Amino acid sequence: MGTKDDIERVLRRRGREVALVGVTLALVVVLGILQPRFVHLENLRFMLLGSVVLSLVALGQTFVIAMRGIDLSVAPLLGLSAMVCGLLAQSQGLPLWIAFALSLGIGVVLGAFNGLLVSALSIPPIVVTLGTYSIYSGFIFIYSQGTQVFSIPAAYGHLGNGYLVPWLPIPIPVLVLLVVLALCSFLLGYTRFGRALLAVGNNDAAAYNAGIPVGGIRIAVYALSGMLASFAGLMFLCYTGSATVTAGTGDHIELQSIAVALVGGTPINGGRGNLIGTVLGSLFLSVVLTALVFLRVPAIWYSAGEGLMILATVQAGLRRHRARDAEAVA
Amino acid sequence: MSRPDAIPASAVRSEANTVKPFNRRHFPLDGWEMTLVVLLVLVLVGFSWAAPGFYDGMPDLLSMAENFLPFGFVALGLSLVIFTGGIDLSVSTTASLTAVVVAQLWHGFGMNIWVAAGIGLLLGALLGAINVLVIIRLKIEPLIATLATSFIYGSIATAVAGNAPPSGFPDAFNALGGGALGILPYQLLLFVPLCLGFWLLVARSAYGRKLVMVGYNREVALYSGIRVERILVVAYVLSGVMAAVAGLVLAAYYSAARPDMGDPLLLATLTMVVLGGVSIFGGEGTMLGVILAVFILGFLRQGMMIAGFSDMVTTMVTGAILITSIAVKNLFNKRGTGLGNQLWALLRRPEATGSEPE
Repeated sequence: MGTKDDIERVLRRRGREVALVGVTLALVVVLGILQPRFVHLENLRFMLLGSVVLSLVALGQTFVIAMRGIDLSVAPLLGLSAMVCGLLAQSQGLPLWIAFALSLGIGVVLGAFNGLLVSALSIPPIVVTLGTYSIYSGFIFIYSQGTQVFSIPAAYGHLGNGYLVPWLPIPIPVLVLLVVLALCSFLLGYTRFGRALLAVGNNDAAAYNAGIPVGGIRIAVYALSGMLASFAGLMFLCYTGSATVTAGTGDHIELQSIAVALVGGTPINGGRGNLIGTVLGSLFLSVVLTALVFLRVPAIWYSAGEGLMILATVQAGLRRHRARDAEAVA
Repeated sequence: MSRPDAIPASAVRSEANTVKPFNRRHFPLDGWEMTLVVLLVLVLVGFSWAAPGFYDGMPDLLSMAENFLPFGFVALGLSLVIFTGGIDLSVSTTASLTAVVVAQLWHGFGMNIWVAAGIGLLLGALLGAINVLVIIRLKIEPLIATLATSFIYGSIATAVAGNAPPSGFPDAFNALGGGALGILPYQLLLFVPLCLGFWLLVARSAYGRKLVMVGYNREVALYSGIRVERILVVAYVLSGVMAAVAGLVLAAYYSAARPDMGDPLLLATLTMVVLGGVSIFGGEGTMLGVILAVFILGFLRQGMMIAGFSDMVTTMVTGAILITSIAVKNLFNKRGTGLGNQLWALLRRPEATGSEPE
């Protein structure tokens, strides 16, 4: 009986994560039976690595959405950070730790600018980040002057593709993601800041009356989102070894990150945030897209697959919630 | 908040809150619309003065509109959706898909181009209907629903286009994009009646009142007996149709249909609608503001290009204008609670520092 109750409790509290893991595993198993190469270690590693950049961006997006905001400017921030660090590394051999600090700095400053506009001037976040999306994309063009990054120092490549220790077959970016996920989870679940941002997402007027510095929290959350997007840009640079002016904006990573956060179980109306769900959602997307490649589906249908995935998972999530609400009423 | 010895700002405020029999506006335009008119004049005069070649006679100025009116068509339809408090991210791919399907019907099936265009408009309505069905029946937020359908429509557009998208439409059809009747471009001749129609729909029809009501407070609208779902269906379907119109006009303008043709439409039209004074949360704004914003941003882009700025700088300026305009609007709001109003009040009466600027 005890274990059954435990399972029920886990399902109720962690239903989204369990469902995502289950569907992802099922997909991997089915594809593995159809195409044995799909479960080859190299491909599994590829799928895992492919989800890291999006996961990092989507973690920041999760914070913003949990606070009932939205951040479209993550895509140009990713591109800007990749471009600035990449060009400096390519031409002047910028040390990795400075690139690290530089990318975080860019993200914090430009992200905080978003937050400042949202909180001090009370402009709706979608309008602010739509505007800064254009402005930050312009920065990429101005900074790059039409050039692009095609070679990066070995240290960067090691960070993007290497292994920390030879006997542990987990690539460094995945370890980085796990560390960031742990830090973010701590921040959201176990700090005053996390509680405050959820309160703001739930009801900002009530949060203000409860003495929460709503404006400050907003600025901090957008700065955090900008920082993570910018850091994702550095990881993107290290992983792919290149950066072009359309990095981030070309793949519509801002829309993907929103989709993944929603798929992961963070409601668009804020008040709750599911960071693990976000990372699992991003992994799920990576597996689905790779599966489409293995099934020889033409590349043009990938974004349709993404769209259907968003509808299906969001719909499934709503159904669960409604069922739970009905249960609560009864 | 209110003090007996009223400062000018709060005097205006209290007067605005009082219901008087003749408390009507003395001027036909709202404050924000006046600002937009001034902006439009500034843009036109400024570029005529600063950028040689911008003003080259009236016909030239009018034909310049051909470059940005496709955005205008989308903006008209998108405003309806934003009035309801929703959003339609699928306008760009709806435009592309329509253009590509019409082109294939004409090229692959040998259909008359005008019949194909008619089918294209119906397709736009259908795509809008799918959006609103997903939103109403599956109860998914408009942002997510149209994000998803936008991905799907985009894929279908690419698939339908194939490797060699058709081009070289009949001249009569191309005239829709680039032709003119005298000095009036056909695009403008199409745009003006549509503007009038949408203005009448929003400002002078029962539907318009209900539309704004739904956006202002959906619950209240529902309890007042408004068929909210019907209002939403009309808004999204019209948004789809207008996106389809934009797709057709773009196809005619380039005499070609490409599956990524509509991509620049989304951000630019969203900027136009918001700059036009429509609240992104719904329930507030005017069609006239949107129409003014279409011409402001359109002429601004054209002027900057003629002045030799790159496309990217122009986009940056557009973004900055979007933010600045809303910031200014929020700083000085009608209720006098904005930061700007407060600072103004402080400057006028330094000792009255009781209220918290928030």
